[in-house]
Amino acid sequence: MRLEDFLLMRHELLLTLIAIIILIAEIFTDDFKKQGIRPLSIILMAIVTIVGFLPAPTGTLFGGMYQATDMRLMMKNILNIGALIVFIQSASWLKSDDNQNKVSEFFLLLISTLIGMNFMISSGDFLMFYLGLELATIPIAALAAYDRYSNKSSEAGIKLILISALSSGILLYGISMIYGTVGSVYFDKVSVAYGATPLQIMSFIFFFTGMAFKISIVPFHLWTADVYEGAPVNVTSYLSVVSKGAAVFIFSIMLVTVFQNIAAMWKDVMWITAAITMTLGNLFAMRQNNLKRFLAFSSISQAGFIMLGIIGGSELGMAAVVYYILVYIFSNLGAFGVIAAISNASGGKENMSDYDGLYKTNPALSLTLTLALFSLAGIPPVAGFFGKFFLFTAVAEKGYWWLLTIAVLNTIISLYYYLLPVKAMFINKAETSIAYFKSDGWTKVGLIICVAGMVIVGFASVIFEYIRTLSFGL
Amino acid sequence: MDSQNKFMPQDYIPIMIQSFIVLGFVLTTMIMTHLLGPLRKSKAKLENFECGIEGMGNARSPFSVKYFLIAILFVLFDVEVIFMYPWAVNFRDLGANGFLDMLLFLGLLLLGFIYIVFKGALKWDNS
Repeated sequence: MRLEDFLLMRHELLLTLIAIIILIAEIFTDDFKKQGIRPLSIILMAIVTIVGFLPAPTGTLFGGMYQATDMRLMMKNILNIGALIVFIQSASWLKSDDNQNKVSEFFLLLISTLIGMNFMISSGDFLMFYLGLELATIPIAALAAYDRYSNKSSEAGIKLILISALSSGILLYGISMIYGTVGSVYFDKVSVAYGATPLQIMSFIFFFTGMAFKISIVPFHLWTADVYEGAPVNVTSYLSVVSKGAAVFIFSIMLVTVFQNIAAMWKDVMWITAAITMTLGNLFAMRQNNLKRFLAFSSISQAGFIMLGIIGGSELGMAAVVYYILVYIFSNLGAFGVIAAISNASGGKENMSDYDGLYKTNPALSLTLTLALFSLAGIPPVAGFFGKFFLFTAVAEKGYWWLLTIAVLNTIISLYYYLLPVKAMFINKAETSIAYFKSDGWTKVGLIICVAGMVIVGFASVIFEYIRTLSFGL
Repeated sequence: MDSQNKFMPQDYIPIMIQSFIVLGFVLTTMIMTHLLGPLRKSKAKLENFECGIEGMGNARSPFSVKYFLIAILFVLFDVEVIFMYPWAVNFRDLGANGFLDMLLFLGLLLLGFIYIVFKGALKWDNS
């Protein structure tokens, strides 16, 4: 390995480096200075995020196992931004007494998952892909059970680890059948040799099922609501945005490269699951009172919308998916940031009825949450509208009119339930609404980044155009 | 090449047979054990254990996971030792470069070990 080759892997190597720095800081500081680890981790993560954007060479490593293309680097940068916002938002939560003695572990586990996701996105064969996927999943289960005195939190951890074991098993079965029929695990060799023999179709179905668990597409979504509700808010936000984003990224890459020979088949599969995912996610979201469950079902239906771009399969569709994930990171983290701030300040109030009359007491937080929900619903001034618009364009371009109709109808349905919390905050009267509280600096910074992201990413068309130039399709 | 890509429904028969055998095995074993096994419902049979001390209290209470922790840590360092075997076999061929790589690997694991010790995971008595 030459020295320049390290530049190709700079995301992973830098993340490993900061993980080691945080570990050393954890070992060699006294208990009094442990709180310094929070700003240290955030600053290190910010540096890594910025360095990721610097221009650097592209190429392949390890005989094609590791691929660094411009598009994949862009995806990693987007995930870095998401992780950075989660780091900032969790800073005030980690200060509480219960979490005093496990601050650095939170950051270490998050960074480990991020390394896994980066390897997964850069994978050039199924082996690297699977290793990255596992590294991205297992530490999350430990994080879901982070809140040690809450039964629901440990329930979430157990459910997550069981579901990921099950889905990994199915995924591996599919991969083994692919290897059995093609004789190689390298993406470029598989994509050439992949046909539509019965066994290969079966292997694709298994692979699809495994990935559907990770992205929580409808027949395989049942774990999502319980895990999202039980895990601490900041972990939930990471799970719903960064984890899901990474899985969507590699899934869309693999569909248009590895499985390009059977594109007609997977488009049919995706068509049906996308339609069901959008509809069911929306219908269940209407009935929720707990805001974390509410956002869990909302994220299921968002996954359905994201699949529209993949079904398009064109270069526009891929760009729309990546752009939508970027928008989704800002909007969803904005919503979760407000929920986390209120939950921390009010001792765990997460129900929609608790938010009655919030605008009177905490106007800034209510406005931020409103903006985030507008962006998730796709109301014009904010970025979510443009994200949805490009996804719909990608589908319309290929002539999927029925799917487009279903998607538009679902957008209208989703408007109803996204406005429910808004109604609670602005219109509903409450006898005892959540009292005014001052959020600390980190929370403010996190929310300001989210709001700025929602506005700027929508209006700066340069961003979409840039992603478009990197994009590739079938 | 074109004829290879056209598959008739009968080509799926091997997969169907495999699925049926797998499902059939599970179902048959489950049903047959119920039918064939002797059914003796006496009070002694329904006890948790037929011999030994009688069960008492609730099993769902907090208990120390020291054994588990030690076992997991043992597995971790056991795997580390496994990685040293191929290095030992190829020690001469790998030369100084391999030695440095291995030093990095062991250094990282040593860091983890120090972390474990500082966190008190190896302390048996927590009082």
